[in-house]
Amino acid sequence: MNVVQHGAAVPADGHGVATWRALQKGGVAVATPQGRGAVRADLEEVFRAAYPRVVGVAARVLGSRDEAEDVAQEVFLKFARSSVPVGAASGWLSVAAAHTALNHLRSGRRRANREEAVGDGVTIAPDVAETIVTLDERRQVRAALGRLPHRQAVALVLRHSGLSYAQVAAALDLSPASVGTTVRRAESALRKELNGHASSD
Amino acid sequence: MRHPTDGTLRRLVDEPVGVSDADRAHVANCPECLAGVAAAQEDATFAGAALEVHHDADVDLAWQRLSLKASTSVGDAENPVGPARSWRARLRSPVAAGVGVLALLAGASAAAAGDWFQIFSTEQVAPVTITQESLVELPDLSAYGQLVVVDEVDLSEVPTAAAAEEATGLEVPQVEVLPQGVRGEPVFEVVDQVSGIFTFSVDEAQQSAEAEGETLQPPPAGLDGSQFRLEAGPGLAAIWTEQRGLPALVVARAVAPTVYSSGVPFETARDYLLSLPGLPEDIESQLRSFAADGATLPVPVPEELMTSSTTEINGADATLVEARDGTMAAVIWVEDGVVTAVAGSVSDDEVLTVARGLG
Repeated sequence: MNVVQHGAAVPADGHGVATWRALQKGGVAVATPQGRGAVRADLEEVFRAAYPRVVGVAARVLGSRDEAEDVAQEVFLKFARSSVPVGAASGWLSVAAAHTALNHLRSGRRRANREEAVGDGVTIAPDVAETIVTLDERRQVRAALGRLPHRQAVALVLRHSGLSYAQVAAALDLSPASVGTTVRRAESALRKELNGHASSD
Repeated sequence: MRHPTDGTLRRLVDEPVGVSDADRAHVANCPECLAGVAAAQEDATFAGAALEVHHDADVDLAWQRLSLKASTSVGDAENPVGPARSWRARLRSPVAAGVGVLALLAGASAAAAGDWFQIFSTEQVAPVTITQESLVELPDLSAYGQLVVVDEVDLSEVPTAAAAEEATGLEVPQVEVLPQGVRGEPVFEVVDQVSGIFTFSVDEAQQSAEAEGETLQPPPAGLDGSQFRLEAGPGLAAIWTEQRGLPALVVARAVAPTVYSSGVPFETARDYLLSLPGLPEDIESQLRSFAADGATLPVPVPEELMTSSTTEINGADATLVEARDGTMAAVIWVEDGVVTAVAGSVSDDEVLTVARGLG
């Protein structure tokens, strides 16, 4: 199984594990602080390989590409000064992105109407009416996501971002069997919440 | 057999290879479970659609943005990194390692059934050198049975040393003289006891072994279905941070992890677990060399980043860990079933001075 590091990092043992546990608690752990200002040499390589997935994780939480890119920058900056092993980087970054994005979602640090602040060449959808409907739905999804228990929300987003059960398990310090249960609950709750609102489909 | 859990049905939707043959066979012939899979599939599809956001990340542009930031803003203000967490993570890693590598579990407690007897208690710390690769390869014990986490890690901050003592029942170590550059009052954090129960399953171990193309050795009599209970904690930490928000010094103490068995002797269980496919040979042999009474807490040390050596703290054997780049040092020892660690962005001499002077 390819877990990230911990000790399992993803799996469960050792050194990585603790880091992942810390991530699970606050999403901001840096595995091994380096000297001040030191930026790791493999940063660009890791960045280019992992950036799309990391943005994808944050975007699923926030519903906004712009905000997701901001979160990705924040997460990579932390990573740049960490000593997270390169083999664990993708998992670490995904988890950090999920936590950071959820924290943004819940702390009200979101920029108002960020989705509409286009104008800089970023296009959302060709049809204005459709765009508005989409934006409204997106808000409902994010509100529902923000009401889920933190662990459920993280498991849900990571699984839908392509992390394996083992990787999600390690990230959240769960057994792979519990990941299914946690994701299942999150999906059921999300659907219930959203169907309670007007939007169908 | 009993119906598989909702979680198992959910996993059948998108990662069926992770579901045991027995569960798959059951579901295939059980209308109730098939309906459960269908419902899980619907909810999963719905959630996937709701969460999906189309994005074509411009990696080049994003990289330019990051490289600018990384080179100019070392401690950027909008980055609320809690460095204390990373240190806390480091301090807890020995505990996590003891649990993970030896086994069995993830925590412990509860269920204090009368027939449990203690098979593993920590009296000594020994360093284990583990490379990143071997960490990645460490086996997921859920492949060898069922792991139930009874008490999950629950960390919280408390206002005073007295509150930390009350919450954990442990004495807060008093630092007499702080190293140069460390000042002010520490923040106190506590973690409750964590516990879990691992039930060994020969069937599952067999399947896992076959999946890796390995052959499982016949298990010792009585191991199949044996339960192991592990407890670790509670613990506490006093954390001093420097002005820039980096952790300057951490003094932590926790009840050492302990494993209990419902029947099979520790050595039997340990040796067999260590022989399971998936555990790298070098780690296996290192673990085998531990004290026969199992009274050793392995500390994983990523050898690319750290070095470790043995030392002594007021009569107790201790492990000193230093970063190769000199940015941190830590010393860890076990005494009377309690693990104590001192770590910080200070020199090895300074952590040893603090450790030996704890009141």
